[in-house]
Amino acid sequence: MTKVSIKALFGRNEPLRPWLDDWCVQNQASLCITDASDRTVYGSKEFQDFKYAIPIDFENAKLAVVYGSNEVIHQVVGVLTMLISKEGEKRKLGSEVLYLYQELNIIYSFAENLGEAISLEAIAEITLSHSTNSIPANAGAIVFLDEYQRKLSVPAMSGEKLIDAHILENNFSLLLRIGLNGQSAIITDITELKERGLIAENVMSIIYATLKGKDRVLGAIILVGTHTDQFTAAHLKLLVTLALQSSSSMESALLFEKNIREIKMREEAMLRINEVIKKFVPNEFISSLGKENITDVKLGDQIEKIVTVLFTDIRDFTTLSERMSPEENFRFVSSFNEVLGPIIRRHQGFINQYLGDSIMAIFPNQPEDALLAAIEMQRAVRQLNQIRIQNGELPIHAGIGMHTGSLIMGITGDEHRLDAATISDTVNTAARIESLTKYYKSPLLLSEVTFKRIPNPSKFVFRRLGKVLLKGKNNILSVVECMNGMEDDFAAIRKQSMSDFDMAMELYQQGHFEHSIQFFSKVVASDETDHTVQVFFEKAKKYLAEGPPKNWNGAEEMIYK
Amino acid sequence: MSQKILIVDDEAHIRMLIEQTLEELEDEGVEFFTAENGEMALEVIGEEKPDLIFLDVMMPKLNGMEVCRRVKQEMGLTDIYIVLLTAKGQESDRQKGLDVGADVYMTKPFDPELLLEKAREVLELP
Repeated sequence: MTKVSIKALFGRNEPLRPWLDDWCVQNQASLCITDASDRTVYGSKEFQDFKYAIPIDFENAKLAVVYGSNEVIHQVVGVLTMLISKEGEKRKLGSEVLYLYQELNIIYSFAENLGEAISLEAIAEITLSHSTNSIPANAGAIVFLDEYQRKLSVPAMSGEKLIDAHILENNFSLLLRIGLNGQSAIITDITELKERGLIAENVMSIIYATLKGKDRVLGAIILVGTHTDQFTAAHLKLLVTLALQSSSSMESALLFEKNIREIKMREEAMLRINEVIKKFVPNEFISSLGKENITDVKLGDQIEKIVTVLFTDIRDFTTLSERMSPEENFRFVSSFNEVLGPIIRRHQGFINQYLGDSIMAIFPNQPEDALLAAIEMQRAVRQLNQIRIQNGELPIHAGIGMHTGSLIMGITGDEHRLDAATISDTVNTAARIESLTKYYKSPLLLSEVTFKRIPNPSKFVFRRLGKVLLKGKNNILSVVECMNGMEDDFAAIRKQSMSDFDMAMELYQQGHFEHSIQFFSKVVASDETDHTVQVFFEKAKKYLAEGPPKNWNGAEEMIYK
Repeated sequence: MSQKILIVDDEAHIRMLIEQTLEELEDEGVEFFTAENGEMALEVIGEEKPDLIFLDVMMPKLNGMEVCRRVKQEMGLTDIYIVLLTAKGQESDRQKGLDVGADVYMTKPFDPELLLEKAREVLELP
């Protein structure tokens, strides 16, 4: 109902009062107008005996009474009635405009609040609170629809306990039937919803608007009321507008979440790939190229550096492996590598390559790192052997050789297949020294180049094994044996016989085989497990009997690789 | 004596909206006055001494800021409660408004409920 007040017609800028003043003068009449509560708004009825009193009604309610002394006041009543009806129209229009303005204000502040929300849940909360603030509901809920999984969720609820979220979530098909198919409506038949327990018994009205994405239904805003006809068409229009705004925010949020999810997945995949790559190409290799990440490495990247290269392999592996199935074989090599890998890393080395039963490791800092690692590796192999012997297995022996020199680490291959590679003569030499461990029957050999870079050699027990000329090489190489990896007793015995051994070697290299045999035999007698000295002992005897090789200069010429 | 509210805005529909919003106060004896520019507003203020003014900032002739300054500083009518109204996004004017003596600042589109609440609070109506 529109409210009109007669007083409004007598406002400051209204022309009614001056007109009435003129009218009274012209008609020589006096009059008085009172409002609905009999308060005088024009003239004065005191001291006057008015003959006429004519009420003016508006929409069945008394609005004013016009008192007059003269019949002509009917003219005034006519004008007033017309003005009141105009005022009524104005007020009616005004209240409609105000309603629209309120709606505008709601939508405006809704849009503003939505702009600050990123997550779907936050958007749902804001949507519901704005819906219940602008539409008189007793309770409300937002439902999200997962079309692919045909599941519902209720991210926001408010008001009285009139909606059962749990039952709501489990009644996908029912909700679909009542209209979660893209429509918005005021539901009139709510008996089935009550029977299924979705809503409380005292719910009398339901209004809902679908949250629509570009090409699918995202969910709905559902409001319930405890009075019949609680919701009007105007409410529905407003709710649809809110739903429209909310949907577009939800679409953006969904897209945003999807993007974030994809980025995360990609990042995780990259991390996993990097972790795997790290195991194939050591990080130290990458960082030595001045790169942070494998993905930064490109063909042709390289660095030259003085490093110590260490080779180790399992002695008589072929014989051992013949007794094993391929799987056993693999497990055996793996367990061996699992023991040695950590030792290498502990001494600042890294494994450059696994080649079946052998390992190539690089020690970029100090040659002593490689030596200490080798000694520890030998001890580890001894411990491994104790277990093997307990298990009735044959003990294994590992040969270790090392050499120090410059090395180029780089990336070779072509643009489709890159490989981390070390290219250097140092690697070849280290590999050959390792293979000399078989010839000399000594488990740990180093080149003299490495030996000379050990800052405090007296910490270790070394034996110089003379010079060799490697096959296919012109330079002669001196080889040194380290005995610290042996059991302490043997190392001590060999240390005692060191002077005899050195003397024997000196004589041997100079070609005084007979003389050298005397010293070698002393060493042989001191330790029958010293197979290395036996090698020289036998050689000396052979050269004494058969004569030394041509151009004997003390260097053993290796005829095999 | 009845309480008085003055509504100042150059746009007729805003004046009407505010009046409509505050309509229920009429029953409680509140009188409404309107003015469509600063000069008219000062005239009404001088004659009627309203208790509360809803004052638009952007108006032709004498803007709201200036009206507010004159009322509070030159005319010394510090008891009049002045609500400055301005468009959203002009919030930088807030401090300026408070500096010239405005009591509070509201943005348009205004929330009718808040406007009514404010009027009741200022006029001490239940």
